[in-house]
Amino acid sequence: MKKDIIVCRDVKKSFETERGIVDVIGSVNLTVPENELLVLFGPGQCGKTTLINVMAGLETVSFGVVTVDGKKVEKPGPDRGVVYQATALFPWLTVMGNVEYGLKAKGVPKKERRERAQYYIDLVGLTGFENTFPSKLSGGMRQRVGIARAYCIEPTVLFMDEPFGHLDAQTRYLMQEELMRIWEKEKRTIVFVTNNIEEAVYLANRIVVMTNCPTTIKAEFNIDLPRPRDYVDPEFLRLREEISAIVDKTL
Amino acid sequence: MGRFKDAAKYEKTIFAVISITTFLLIWYLVTKDTELGKVLAGPVTVFGKFFKSFTEPLGTHVIPGHILWSLSRVMVGYVVASILGIILGVTMGWSRLVEAMFRPLFEIIRPIPPIAWIPLAILWFGLGELTKYFLIALATFSNVTMNAYSGAKSVDPVLIGAARMLGASDSRIFMTIVLPASVPHIFAGLQIALGSAWATVVAAEMVRSSEGVGWVIITGQDTNNSVQILVGIIAVGIIGYVLAIMMRQIEANLCSWSERGK
Repeated sequence: MKKDIIVCRDVKKSFETERGIVDVIGSVNLTVPENELLVLFGPGQCGKTTLINVMAGLETVSFGVVTVDGKKVEKPGPDRGVVYQATALFPWLTVMGNVEYGLKAKGVPKKERRERAQYYIDLVGLTGFENTFPSKLSGGMRQRVGIARAYCIEPTVLFMDEPFGHLDAQTRYLMQEELMRIWEKEKRTIVFVTNNIEEAVYLANRIVVMTNCPTTIKAEFNIDLPRPRDYVDPEFLRLREEISAIVDKTL
Repeated sequence: MGRFKDAAKYEKTIFAVISITTFLLIWYLVTKDTELGKVLAGPVTVFGKFFKSFTEPLGTHVIPGHILWSLSRVMVGYVVASILGIILGVTMGWSRLVEAMFRPLFEIIRPIPPIAWIPLAILWFGLGELTKYFLIALATFSNVTMNAYSGAKSVDPVLIGAARMLGASDSRIFMTIVLPASVPHIFAGLQIALGSAWATVVAAEMVRSSEGVGWVIITGQDTNNSVQILVGIIAVGIIGYVLAIMMRQIEANLCSWSERGK
């Protein structure tokens, strides 16, 4: 029996807006065991990002409780790495500067810091780009830096909020493959948000389908397909159809 | 790519040369043996005098000496006020409390042009150097503060969230995120401020001084010497231009990471 890393109990989140109080998260109960790659899948704007932000501590819950590794989540912390939709790299720091930032904040001595950062830069395939600024990198390469930066603080959990959403189709496939390679090598608990069904089935151990706002869990699917997965395998396509069919349709 | 860039650069240089030459030519023609020529000296006379004044002193100094005097005044006021302005501006952008305390005060003082302070400055600090430093500092301070403030205000909150997620403390976020993110804004402010500090030193020297480019201009007026006035004006123009280019170069080196700095 694997340890439960993330536990969400009766989590609700509302925002106060000009139109009054808007419920974004209905009431979510969710546990994520160690080293699972969980995909939160649902229509656009349905509150998936809010759920991830709540788990990462970037937003506070309105009701309920989130724990990560037994500790209650109240603010962001280095035990929870986040890979953002729009990379959120520090533009004035080089690739090395970005990746080692977390270790520097922790006070890790320079030599060890450099070695560890280099390990993750190599892992994501950016060897030779250590001294390049993000503005000189392609979209896919920036996301690699984002992944290396989050990995480098060696967090218990990694949250990935549609990290490949802005990439072109070719780069997206490549990055999905890359993420699988990285994850096989450095197993972590990952919560991955996407609205792309193909990506979801390709990556997930388990897919949690979310409803429209206020979001709740609609269904869960365990994906036991062998890896590396094949996008045109009949079983892959069947799952893809089955899950697509139950998702709320929105514009 | 490189060839087109070069071509564009040559084109710019050629047009610059053409426009300056045309201007000098018109100046020359309208002042040569005309009525206007009696009140406005021609370019040959003015530039002749300008270059001659490198060796023949105007008053107590040669023209580079006057320029250095003015520049040294600017540097004192500018450096002190820039440091204070950056600190206050960035702190105002970072802390709501500091913002609430200083912003209203600042908004009232900001629109007052530095030269409006001249009479008060003379009453407070007399006719010496201190008055000039004070005026230059005023001219610098508001520009730098305002830009540093808007820079610190406009830091992407996602970047602050990312730093927090990576375990950075508040003071580390301030030093490694808010400050560098504000650098392009701070530089824009420093650039404008240097221009207005340079303009202010001339004004301050015209009020009372015994050296500096402002003195060259005002003494030209007192002695009815339009050539000397124009020599002073040319010196002000050239130095102002050189300062602006220098600042842009420093910015390009410091902000090589930003899209703008390229």
